[in-house]
Amino acid sequence: MTTSSSQPNEGKPRDATYWAQPVSRLKVSGVPSEAINLNVDGRRVMSPLQGFGQMWQKNYRIRLAGTKSIPAEVIKTWKENFQKFWPPGNRFYAPLTSISPGEVAVLNLSGPGGIKLSTGIMVIYADDESFTFMTPEGHMFSGWITFSAHTEDSHTVAQAQVLIRANDPLYEIAFRMGGSRQEDQFWVQTLTSLAAHFGAEGEVEMQATCVDPKLQWSQAKNIWHNAAIRTVLNTPVRLARSLFRRNAINTR
Amino acid sequence: MPAQSFEARVRRQGGIAIVDLHGEINSFADEGLSTAYAEASSQNPAAILLNFAGVDYINSTGIALIVGLLAQARKSGRRLLTSGLSSHYVEIFQITRLADFMSIFSDEASALASVPTPAS
Repeated sequence: MTTSSSQPNEGKPRDATYWAQPVSRLKVSGVPSEAINLNVDGRRVMSPLQGFGQMWQKNYRIRLAGTKSIPAEVIKTWKENFQKFWPPGNRFYAPLTSISPGEVAVLNLSGPGGIKLSTGIMVIYADDESFTFMTPEGHMFSGWITFSAHTEDSHTVAQAQVLIRANDPLYEIAFRMGGSRQEDQFWVQTLTSLAAHFGAEGEVEMQATCVDPKLQWSQAKNIWHNAAIRTVLNTPVRLARSLFRRNAINTR
Repeated sequence: MPAQSFEARVRRQGGIAIVDLHGEINSFADEGLSTAYAEASSQNPAAILLNFAGVDYINSTGIALIVGLLAQARKSGRRLLTSGLSSHYVEIFQITRLADFMSIFSDEASALASVPTPAS
């Protein structure tokens, strides 16, 4: 094969509309007032290579037996009802324009001991049969999650694939002490709810592979952005603001 | 739905293994990409160059596959270089922050020139 020094493929490729435009920092807009909107604005997205812990690839999949819905219909429904399929206690504040490339969503997640964790995601890729989220600095994981559907043996299969590593040493400890199992349960529940929406029942199959067992100590500094710590530290401020607002309304 | 066509061929120049990629990098490229990478790394090259000049489609699963190769390369302390990426794919490598870890060259010659020749 010969190669030249000219730039190939300068015409717009077919995948161009599916990818987000590059951004240096995330910008959140249109978040409901009840949401805890912390740790997203101004953060950079993180690939699985920027994290601290071991890199894991996990696939969760469920066969939607009995449904006539084709993969594109499943993905359309999943995008439109993303929050609905999440386990209770966790909130996905969807972007106003739905799940499309470049949109940013705020997440309020339930942590151990009832603590709330505020973080977010950016939609980096979305087509008719898949969409991918990338996490920001401070999220439990650095990496991305791809949701997709395809046909297999005449059945539609829905799956979530994560490629992640814990973002900092604290998250890595939590991941090893039950966080990994909690993550598994999260996506098992999500896929089970999705299947139930389509009237299908079935077992979620899971496959986990450790892609890189090494810890990246050079990334231990990520703890500075740790969203769990920052959300907890911000709690008194939020309570004070809420009290102040209530008092202001009462004195009017 | 993208067609399921992908091909990867390995050749060598000096101490560098060059993997010429063609077609679409999506979930169907998994096996072909892994096989080509294994072949490329088999003779302990100083670096592996992924030549994307023949690639006209990459989805997010494809990017995840490239991350997997990058993780393998880092584990074995090997440089992974790229060439032939269009400006669109250079942008994608920036969005996904792969560009932080891979040296991106506009053409093969400059990629090869960046790898020091081993002393004989």
